[in-house]
Amino acid sequence: MTRSVTVFVVDDDDAVRSSLRLLLKSVGLPTVAYASAQEYLAAWHPDQPGCLVLDVRMPGMSGIELQAELNHRGAIMPVIFISGHGDIPMAVEAIQHGAFDFLQKPFRDQDLIDRVQRALASDGENRKLLLQRETLRQRFESLTPREQEVLLLVTQGKANKVMAGDLGVSQRTVEIHRARVMEKMGAQSLAQLVRMMLELESDTPQSRVN
Amino acid sequence: MSPTPDLSTPKQPELQALLDATVDAVIIIDSRGIVESFNRSGERLFGFTADEIIGRNVSILMTETDRGSHDGYMKRYMTSGVPHIIGIGREVEARRKDGSVFPVFLSVGRIHGADPPRFVGLLHDITLRREAMAAIRRERDRANMYLEMAQVILLALSPDRRVQLINRKGAESLARREMDLLGRDWLEIAVPADQHQAVFKELATVATSQSGEEHYFEHEVLASDGARHLIAWRCIPLRNARQQLTGYFASGEDITESRRSALEAQQTQQRMTQVSRLATMGEMAAGIAHELNQPLAAIANYASAARRLADSLKLEQLDQDGDVKLALEQIGQQALRAGEIIRRLRALVQNREINLEPANINDVVAEVIGFVAGDARLNEVKLVTDYGNALPTGLLDRIQVQQIALNLLRNAIEALIEHRDGQREILIRTSSLNGWLQLEIADNGPGVPAMLIDRIFDPFCTTKVTGTGLGLAISRTIAEAHHGKLTYQGDPQTGARFLLTLPISGE
Repeated sequence: MTRSVTVFVVDDDDAVRSSLRLLLKSVGLPTVAYASAQEYLAAWHPDQPGCLVLDVRMPGMSGIELQAELNHRGAIMPVIFISGHGDIPMAVEAIQHGAFDFLQKPFRDQDLIDRVQRALASDGENRKLLLQRETLRQRFESLTPREQEVLLLVTQGKANKVMAGDLGVSQRTVEIHRARVMEKMGAQSLAQLVRMMLELESDTPQSRVN
Repeated sequence: MSPTPDLSTPKQPELQALLDATVDAVIIIDSRGIVESFNRSGERLFGFTADEIIGRNVSILMTETDRGSHDGYMKRYMTSGVPHIIGIGREVEARRKDGSVFPVFLSVGRIHGADPPRFVGLLHDITLRREAMAAIRRERDRANMYLEMAQVILLALSPDRRVQLINRKGAESLARREMDLLGRDWLEIAVPADQHQAVFKELATVATSQSGEEHYFEHEVLASDGARHLIAWRCIPLRNARQQLTGYFASGEDITESRRSALEAQQTQQRMTQVSRLATMGEMAAGIAHELNQPLAAIANYASAARRLADSLKLEQLDQDGDVKLALEQIGQQALRAGEIIRRLRALVQNREINLEPANINDVVAEVIGFVAGDARLNEVKLVTDYGNALPTGLLDRIQVQQIALNLLRNAIEALIEHRDGQREILIRTSSLNGWLQLEIADNGPGVPAMLIDRIFDPFCTTKVTGTGLGLAISRTIAEAHHGKLTYQGDPQTGARFLLTLPISGE
């Protein structure tokens, strides 16, 4: 099941929540609003694309606490904080913990919309990268142990003849494995295959791109 | 020569009793000054017995200095017949047997029918009177000294307000000499004309009051050098035994300085109150900011959602003048403005950090004009903009520079409302000069009063009844935090004119 890009709003103030939903809807952004951090967490799913517009101060779990919990869960969705207090130290703290941006209430509509759209673009980019990496991993894991061995040697730049020697098989067998690797990995060229391996080895997920 | 009558043993006992009873010394001498008779009081006063004196020259009772001249006096009278002392009397010094000297009042009479003439002298001891006089003089001198030393003005006036007594302090306060004040009309010589009526009334009240009843009032005195002193007077009426008014007596304290410092203390107090009120206001603003900003955010959001929905529903045909669109835009803008006001209130108590960013000065100013446009239209103030072309990018804190511009524009609008009936106009001009950006805001009102020009950037300097006097002070602080300047360059002919200088971005 593919989840559609959605802007999530978490604010305990009914009017703010409702007006934000309407504002985002008026520019064609699908929006789901929650009245508390707990409600949002209950519905949260790691594969849900979009961005989160989050009030800093709420009764119960605050926006800052929700951000910490999401970080703990490895969430990658960008968070735009909104606050009626606008205290600078809190904004700094939020940004240090990876917030995408910080807005003071009341704000100009365009300021919010611009930030939401940038956040959505950033989220899409991140998810695409993550998806690519996941696909690659699945492809890599579909290789037999011998094929994985060949892949590693190929990307190290070894010639078929050398590999045949290393593995104690015929050059012909190496060529067959190599063709299977290219096919299974979906690589058109040796260069592309090398890039795929680099992508797989850089295991740190690009979860936040500011 | 007629026989010498023996007065030491008078024939009539009555006369003898009289001589003995009198407290004065009675001495009878002949024309040469030889004592013929000396009574009891004489014995008591001088310490001589009658026997010791009778037959001797009377000069024995005199001091060395009088002694020599007495014979001369007598000879002068004997030859000229013109009396110098007879029937007049004078104070002289007398000498006792023990040599001590004491004052007496001497009266001399010539005994009629005697030839050569004989004289009777009456000597009244005036030692006590002398001492009493001296004591009175001492007391008077002391009283005068007190008058002169007094640090208050002491003033006595006649019923028709003429100066009868004024002490040194009083004369000094008026920068005049005592002799130039005595006898003069107090109102004319000392009271400024604008206070004649008031002082006249106060004295009239004193004149009708009980003696000894003290009246307090204040008025200024005008010194000869033009200086004015505020004097606090305590005044009583002077009355004679029949309760008729004989004058006024007043003590006056110069309270010019103390009143001034009291006033200053009061002003300081007021400022402190104002500051604490502002701080309170700021705290309140912080406290309610969250609550207020929530609905404001909702209003702004709803308004812009409505505007976008109206666009998407193609309502232009129905809203040809764009009124609905304007209204929706304004709802959003005014909500933002309200949020801005709250933010600025908070900025009063918080030393906001300045956040310099590259910005287009024209955009920054245009936004502010949006804030005041409604206000200006309502009050028929024409806003004339003159935006410079291709200006360099500024390096500034957008919000804070807008705070300055907003403050200047609001001041200008208020000044125009208050003072100008004709065409009200504010000129807003941006330009660049020598690597700086300039924002000029000028109006065609009366300008800042000359006496205030040096102080308009001081905190608490305000001409508005409800003003805090902080607007321009905060504005200048912001300008200086930008390393820029905010100056006043207006004049009464053309109106007020403020010039804000801001740095440009190095990029």
